[in-house]
Amino acid sequence: MSVLSALSARSGKSYACRFCLAVAAVSIAGALFGEESSRPAEADLDMSRRVDELLAARWAEHEIKPAPPADDAELLRRLYLDLVGVVPTVWEARAYLADQRPEKRGELIDRLLMSPAHVTHLAAVWRDLMLPRKFDPQQIAGVVGLQNWLRRQFIENRRYDRIVADLLVATGGDESGPALFYTSVGLKPQELATTTARIFLGLRLDCAQCHNHPFDRWTQQDFWGYAAFFARLEQRSRNAAAVRLVDTESGEVHLPDSNAVVPARYPGGVVVDPRELGTRRQQLAIWMVSVDNPYLSRATVNLVWSQLFGRGLVEPLDDFGEHNPASHPKLLEELADYFVATGYDLRRLYRTLCNTRAYQLASHAPGAEQPAPDLFAEMAVKMLTPEQLYDSLARVALRAPGAAQNPLADPQRLAFLIKMQTQTHSVTDFELSVPQALTLLNGPELNAVTDAATSGLLTALEAPIFNNESRVEVAFLATLSRPPRDTERSQFVEYVQSRPLDQRKQALSDVVWALINSAEFLLNH
Amino acid sequence: MTDKTLARAISRRQWLSASGLGLVGASLSGWLPALAAEGAADPRRRRHCILLWMNGGPSQLDTFDLKPGHAHGGEFKPIATSCPGLQFSEHLPKLAGLAQHVAVIRSLSTKEGDHARATFLMRTGYRPGGPVDYPTLGALVAKELDDPEAELPNYVSISPYQALNPAAFVPGFLGPRYAPATVGANDQPRADVPEAGYPRLGLDNLQLPAGVDPQQSLRRLQLWNSLEQGFLGTRSGASAAAHRLVYDRAVRLMRSEARVAFDLDQEPPAVREAYGRGRFGQGCLLARRLVERGVPFVEVTLGGFEADALGWDTHQKNFPTVKSLSAQLDAGWSTLMSELDSRGLLERTTIIWMGEFGRTPKINAQAGRDHFAAAWSCVLAGGGIRGGQAYGRTTPDGMAVADNPVSPGALLATLCAALGIDPAGQNTNEMGRPIKITDGESIGELLT
Repeated sequence: MSVLSALSARSGKSYACRFCLAVAAVSIAGALFGEESSRPAEADLDMSRRVDELLAARWAEHEIKPAPPADDAELLRRLYLDLVGVVPTVWEARAYLADQRPEKRGELIDRLLMSPAHVTHLAAVWRDLMLPRKFDPQQIAGVVGLQNWLRRQFIENRRYDRIVADLLVATGGDESGPALFYTSVGLKPQELATTTARIFLGLRLDCAQCHNHPFDRWTQQDFWGYAAFFARLEQRSRNAAAVRLVDTESGEVHLPDSNAVVPARYPGGVVVDPRELGTRRQQLAIWMVSVDNPYLSRATVNLVWSQLFGRGLVEPLDDFGEHNPASHPKLLEELADYFVATGYDLRRLYRTLCNTRAYQLASHAPGAEQPAPDLFAEMAVKMLTPEQLYDSLARVALRAPGAAQNPLADPQRLAFLIKMQTQTHSVTDFELSVPQALTLLNGPELNAVTDAATSGLLTALEAPIFNNESRVEVAFLATLSRPPRDTERSQFVEYVQSRPLDQRKQALSDVVWALINSAEFLLNH
Repeated sequence: MTDKTLARAISRRQWLSASGLGLVGASLSGWLPALAAEGAADPRRRRHCILLWMNGGPSQLDTFDLKPGHAHGGEFKPIATSCPGLQFSEHLPKLAGLAQHVAVIRSLSTKEGDHARATFLMRTGYRPGGPVDYPTLGALVAKELDDPEAELPNYVSISPYQALNPAAFVPGFLGPRYAPATVGANDQPRADVPEAGYPRLGLDNLQLPAGVDPQQSLRRLQLWNSLEQGFLGTRSGASAAAHRLVYDRAVRLMRSEARVAFDLDQEPPAVREAYGRGRFGQGCLLARRLVERGVPFVEVTLGGFEADALGWDTHQKNFPTVKSLSAQLDAGWSTLMSELDSRGLLERTTIIWMGEFGRTPKINAQAGRDHFAAAWSCVLAGGGIRGGQAYGRTTPDGMAVADNPVSPGALLATLCAALGIDPAGQNTNEMGRPIKITDGESIGELLT
């Protein structure tokens, strides 16, 4: 932000004035929606209701009955996985399930959103978005740096547009994290253009990299004009701990097989006046946060929507355009406007969406036919990410979190993440290889949870205060965040009873093994 | 992914009645009682591919494109092979006896001289960089030749050295369904603990964890199955179905007879000796056992595990190093081909031998050869390949291609054609963009 402010102060041009106005508007908005006063919460709830209204209109059009509300346990587990990336503990589950007050849902959402675990989780989610090769062990120091940097931004709940702008002008140095975003693609203008357009603008400009896109309005000039913003970038220090990027005075992009220089041009907008001040990247950053950019708010709202609902209002997430309209255009527009009005406040966006009735629907509709997923008439079933899985297993085993400040620095965890990496870009696609399934069936990570010698859970269940019924119940609460159903209770208790007394711990380990290998555990539903 | 498309296409009611609970029941009855021994190869899996990957970049001048009499030729002499006019290095005598199955390509010409970049190029057929996560060759072939009913993995990678460029060893946009089941990778330290003088080449996590016996495992699976039925009975989504399918496949593998493929102790000592005691030789033996049981793609790496991980990267002491590697190569490869042939499998199995690039014809001051991509060799052999020939030619000094230059795309297209895969076929990446299987035309002279 400092770069931008300095720049706008120095420049008298219209775009900069607009930017100044934007800054002024933001500070007013900041005063209106003061930190966690009751008013933004009410405004957010109004917006939640508006979202539901627009969704319900489509259900009525299609004569569809939505799924019933998720029960407490299902919603509890969903909120924990989506907002803090791990299943709740047994006591958290017990306390929540015992609470009879209707306001407990909203309170839980607020509590999770304000927890340190939420920003850690959010940083991991955004790091995952931004780095194409996810866990390259050789680059892990930089990955950790980027995640830590993101986490600091989210701790302060900084305006999302400012986070993006800072990333776009990052030079590294003391904070090498964001610089990794550039070095991970070798500082190539076309790669940086591709990635930033997809993540921050929701645009596949790169489809026009080699030839004009057949279905969309983007041309080669658009792509290379956008790539030109990243053409004047050099890496001065190759020290991995302190990457330093420098914006230079020269560097251009050309159309493939051509010598014609393509001037820097904002997507869908005007060519940059060569007399404009600032580096190319600063010019792009200013445009990014300006009212001239309609893309950032829509793309971000869509992104967060898809994290929670399993698919975007525009799907694929990075393919906005007339050829691919949103499933709910008005909803998308109003939500994006609201996001802008709140000052690009991610926390409030999550709160708004989590408080919708739609988010809180069960993941199984009553009808025989599954409603089309883009109607959002039932909650999508999402696959746990390797990180959610590892952290949840550690929690089930009652294993103390590693001493490392950043969870990625834990080598055992990192090895698991590498082993369980998938290529899928949709969380509703369950993608697992046979070797990965074998890792879950027989591998050391799950065995640590079910091995009588190492599992904290199994040791805790030995306590004499428990009987077999309560032992089975704790095992269910620890893994699925719900008590066993009657048939399950009798079957599993009977199983434990049927084993010799000296094999009780082993019998309980069998119960836990079955639970953590179940689809219900491995999926977020 | 076909399973998912399938699962999406069928309604919830159909899912419950036909495939869902039916599948659960069927699979339980399938693997809860010990499976009866099955016949070896699944007849539907007609084609197989074995990649012999030479890590570090093998010297063409000291293996398949010798230059006797020229200053670039070096110490090794050519020997005659079973095919008149075709000569190999003197350190590949057993392979020379099988030259009728072998087509040498002496005119590969590429533009990548860096290990990491060249590894990506040769293993995917595409240059690195760019927005597409290209699949590695094994995943491409596994997808085309996959049998969803098979018990064994569709792609097994033996002793790979992935550190050079991990991106060159992944299924890319094809997804984990075509990820290699990795055996004895060099990043698994315990893999190097020798067993009875041989390297251990087992599939990770195929065995039950220590302390869990088969009876206990069976009880666990029964508990698990009842939980699955309860959950899947209420969920129509594709995720739940896909979860079931991959678990079924993993459990089937754990409990199947086919997993004995990984138990090399079942082979007579004389056979194990014939392949060579090292990691490569035993890997070739494992490759034969896997192909016998229908696995479509197996790769075995040579030069990825020795004290110097880049075994073929002979910047120094080229000749003793290549001689020692050639001994392993000759024993493993020739025994593999003979055994496949005697089982009638060679005509259905195409073998490709290559590294990431070749070596400089000029011998450097350390008696070594450096990276060289302009003119080098690789080999196709076995099924679908017209053996007994050398295709293409380099200049007498070996510095350039004289005839018929071959690109990586053309090489992989030729391999695909030999395997009965349409090289011009397309896959769709996760962005919905069509990507050609190979970027090149197959070479008719190399095909039967």
